[in-house]
Amino acid sequence: MTHREIELQLDAYVDGELAPADARELEAHLKECAECARLHEARVALSAAIRQQVPAFRAPDALRRRVRAAVRDAAGARAGRRVLLPVAARWLALAASLAVVAVGSWQLGLSRAGTDALAGQVLASHVRSLMPGHLTDVVSSDQHTVKPWFNGKLDFSPPVYDFAGRGFPLIGGRLDYVGGRAVAALAYGRRQHLINVLLWPAARGSVGGPGVASRQGYHLLHWTTPDYVYWVVSDLGMAELRDFTQLLQQADSAASGPGTARPLP
Amino acid sequence: MLDAADPPHPALIPWGIIPLSAESSLEGVRDHLEGRLEPSELERFEAIVLPHLDAAYSLARYLTRNDDDAQDVVQDAYLRALKYFGGFRGGASERGDGRAWLLAIVRNTAYTWQRRHRGDALATEFDEELHSDAVAEQHPASALERDTAREALHRALDRLPRELREVIVLRELEGLSYKEIGDVTGVPMGTVMSRLSRARRRLQEALGADPEGG
Repeated sequence: MTHREIELQLDAYVDGELAPADARELEAHLKECAECARLHEARVALSAAIRQQVPAFRAPDALRRRVRAAVRDAAGARAGRRVLLPVAARWLALAASLAVVAVGSWQLGLSRAGTDALAGQVLASHVRSLMPGHLTDVVSSDQHTVKPWFNGKLDFSPPVYDFAGRGFPLIGGRLDYVGGRAVAALAYGRRQHLINVLLWPAARGSVGGPGVASRQGYHLLHWTTPDYVYWVVSDLGMAELRDFTQLLQQADSAASGPGTARPLP
Repeated sequence: MLDAADPPHPALIPWGIIPLSAESSLEGVRDHLEGRLEPSELERFEAIVLPHLDAAYSLARYLTRNDDDAQDVVQDAYLRALKYFGGFRGGASERGDGRAWLLAIVRNTAYTWQRRHRGDALATEFDEELHSDAVAEQHPASALERDTAREALHRALDRLPRELREVIVLRELEGLSYKEIGDVTGVPMGTVMSRLSRARRRLQEALGADPEGG
């Protein structure tokens, strides 16, 4: 048997897919051939590494709701049509489709109600972060420490900048859950004040903003680049928060090339 | 080499009747189903197919490498699955719990969807992002070593051609048997075996060649 044939069998063996007779033969060979035994060990280790370090994704809750609604809607129309006039049924069907679209839009943060809900969640994240021990999962003023920390914890790699030279030092990062998905949260300081930056990947074609809101003494700014939805929240005065936001947008547009900067209101 | 008692080529099972270009708009599916889907069938669908939403999304994520696309693909796949559920229940007992059946639809939907909406832009986009990560990797702190190894593995997996990446995901993450993988990907078990072997060899070579991640 050639080395390649043995390698093929090894994989089937590691997967428990080799016929018993072939498996016994291979096991005998592994006892005699050090090279193949090493290969076997390497394959077992690789398999274990993949299972440990490559996550199986969990479906976002918003998708769960969306799929369930779409399935019910597609399957449930039959009963409706029996008792309703065709025209009414069509309107109902249209309304149902719009409902599904609305659920989708909420997830994209496009609708006003969705933005208000998001603002509430962003603010909650900020207030939570002020409680002892909740601000950061990774404490570092070094963007090259904070950025890689998110690897494997999020399905995107958030841009991380340090503005210590401009009076907004990076404090650290953490994971949070906003708008039905895991998001990156970055904490920056300004004297005694804290600024939280929450961001997650933007839906295609949803560039927009900026928007401004004030709630319970906190200021919130949000905008959407071609890559990310950004929310910035702080008890800092609006003027300084805008300065910070400008730094962030400049750094972002410098990083992602021309044409993506959005002016502030 | 493989157990001779296994039935022959599984790719020709009735799942094949699901057209790749099936129209799966809500209206389309609703019209298709009118007068055919009993309420008890909907319950069966919800009991058999809906529980595999995580597996469906995970596969779609690894195939499209993108959350938005994966979500669209999964919703589309579920509507197709509903439309062709009648074909599935014909011999349900032989075909497991519906997961492999659903994953086959997810896979086909993802590839159709990508052809239609994205072309090859995805791969380039993703690599650029990875390259920017690689810059940060040049200063690994000791606490980050495990993350760096993890990153190297992710990178190697993402760079596999899709027919090799999908067998790794189906085998290692979803734990499907070779036969189920053959059902999902529409190839004979022997091909599944050789693709898995090739995929692992490439992963090992990629990791071995990466001094940070080796």
